[in-house]
Amino acid sequence: MLSSYLPVLLMIVAGIAVAGGMLALKSLLGPRNATPEKQKPFECGRESTGSAHARFSIKFYLVALLFIAFDIEIVFLYPWAVVAKGLGVVGLVQMGVFLGVLVLGFIYVWKKGALEWD
Amino acid sequence: MSVSQSVSWFFPELLLAFGALAVLVVDLLVTKHRKKIAVVIGGLFVLLALLKSESAASEHSGVVALFSGMVVLDPMAFFFKLIFGIAVLVTLFFVYRSAESPEANSGEFVTLLVAVTLGLFLMGAASDMVMMYLSLEFVSLCSYVMAGWSRKDRRSTEAALKYVIYGGVASGVMVYGMSLLYGLTGKTNLFEIRDALAASAPSQLALTLSVVLIIAGIGFKIAAVPFHMWCPDVYEGAPTPVTAFFSVGPKAAGFAMMIRFFYTTFVDATSWGSGTELVAVGGAPWPLLVGIIAAATMTLGNFAAITQNNLKRLLAYSSIAHAGYMLMGIASMSRQGVESVLFYLGVYLFMNLGAFLVVIAIRDHTEGEGIEAYRGLSQRQPFAAVLMTVFLLSLTGVPPFAGFIGKFYLFAAVLAKGGFYYYLLAIIGILNSAVSLFYYARIIRAMFLEEPVVRAPVGLPLPYRVALVALAVPTVVLGIFPPLLSDLTQVSVGALGVVTTGF
Repeated sequence: MLSSYLPVLLMIVAGIAVAGGMLALKSLLGPRNATPEKQKPFECGRESTGSAHARFSIKFYLVALLFIAFDIEIVFLYPWAVVAKGLGVVGLVQMGVFLGVLVLGFIYVWKKGALEWD
Repeated sequence: MSVSQSVSWFFPELLLAFGALAVLVVDLLVTKHRKKIAVVIGGLFVLLALLKSESAASEHSGVVALFSGMVVLDPMAFFFKLIFGIAVLVTLFFVYRSAESPEANSGEFVTLLVAVTLGLFLMGAASDMVMMYLSLEFVSLCSYVMAGWSRKDRRSTEAALKYVIYGGVASGVMVYGMSLLYGLTGKTNLFEIRDALAASAPSQLALTLSVVLIIAGIGFKIAAVPFHMWCPDVYEGAPTPVTAFFSVGPKAAGFAMMIRFFYTTFVDATSWGSGTELVAVGGAPWPLLVGIIAAATMTLGNFAAITQNNLKRLLAYSSIAHAGYMLMGIASMSRQGVESVLFYLGVYLFMNLGAFLVVIAIRDHTEGEGIEAYRGLSQRQPFAAVLMTVFLLSLTGVPPFAGFIGKFYLFAAVLAKGGFYYYLLAIIGILNSAVSLFYYARIIRAMFLEEPVVRAPVGLPLPYRVALVALAVPTVVLGIFPPLLSDLTQVSVGALGVVTTGF
């Protein structure tokens, strides 16, 4: 039983070898000349300004989370739409239940004011 | 059973899912009496789910495997559904009455509570490692949010964060253990794993490792040493009704899962007939592991409780200690051991919720959780003081209360097993019971022998009085007439080992 996992072991060994090998080659061959500019956080070639740990509003997280929830809903709709004819009324009702639950969530989010920016 | 056939047995769970949504929507629509309406609707659905489970349990005989063996419908699953249902209904009452539960967020909270009931129902019935993991995560995720319910309270937020981090690690470790077990047998269903283990003995090292890792995940839910660190902080920081729920609901579910996992996977099904010794399958030393954890859990829980002055923290350590006693029953690897654990859980439900109800009532009136709030309580509120004494003595295991019978069954199961190792475990358990008397008696002494700091009487509203009596009656009656519960536990355990194939 365990011997059938040999390919997994080989894969892990190969992964470590490739990643470790690259790091080793880099430190052996690469030039090292650390200037103050090279130590700075990267900022698109511009002179970097301010702290790298800037704070931004928690509202962005909220919007991002809501976006994911309702975006995934569309992902489920596409494959259903392709075979909708074949599934018939049963498929329609099932998708209706699924969307109904999501709409409840949408109403909840709306009513709680999570879509208001201020 | 196929999916479409299974659905007709799955009405209790569907009711709970629908109930959670219903509370959420109704809470959006109403503006007045929001807490009352949410609690009533939530309670109604939980009650309906219980009634439906009862009728389903009486309709089928033996074991029904649903959704291709993901969950099973057996007498033990029904027993645990009863425990979860009662725990949630009592918690709903706490939520409704307690001054700690704000009116504004009560709809969301009741939604979570009904949803977590669904998770608990699934945990008690899960017979597939995938379902075990999913239901455990379901309950955990709801619990994290419930622990942080008092958003403005720093301790509550801290409790929620600690719980999330610890829970995430524990469930990750558990799922790794499950992957090892899957790798060894090629199955995720517990019944099929058992058959695979019986057919060919796997590598002992890998099997033991996977069992240890899975124990870590379940041990986190029941707060067993060394996975208990979150427990005192979360119990202290969370609102008291939530703490009361955590100490019985998810804990009982953890035990249900542990019993089902060990006694399905590692026990030969044909040896389940009454009067015979259970025969091990696979050869994993899990009784030894669970036994060591049991001894460590009760010793640490009891000794750490001695120095606690905050009642919620004290009850947290006491609940760790009680998990230790119950683990003893699981370690005994006998039918009698499982029965005694179920009995103890049934008794623990009433006495622990009762003790927490007194804490809630005192906190509502005095804002105090420390032991000084209980000084001279016999003069300020004799009714609460007397009933608190009943619950505490039952938790200690003093006759004639139900806690004594529960402990008696547990020790009897361990001693019936015999052998040096089990005698040692029983001695550790009995010494621990003696230690526990010390800190429970400290509260009783404060209530009856010490002078109160403030003399003003403490008010106790009528609903609290009724609920206290309702919880005290089983605590006393089961101590005098244990067959009321032990008959049910015997039936519940009966079908645990039934071979279930052909999903």
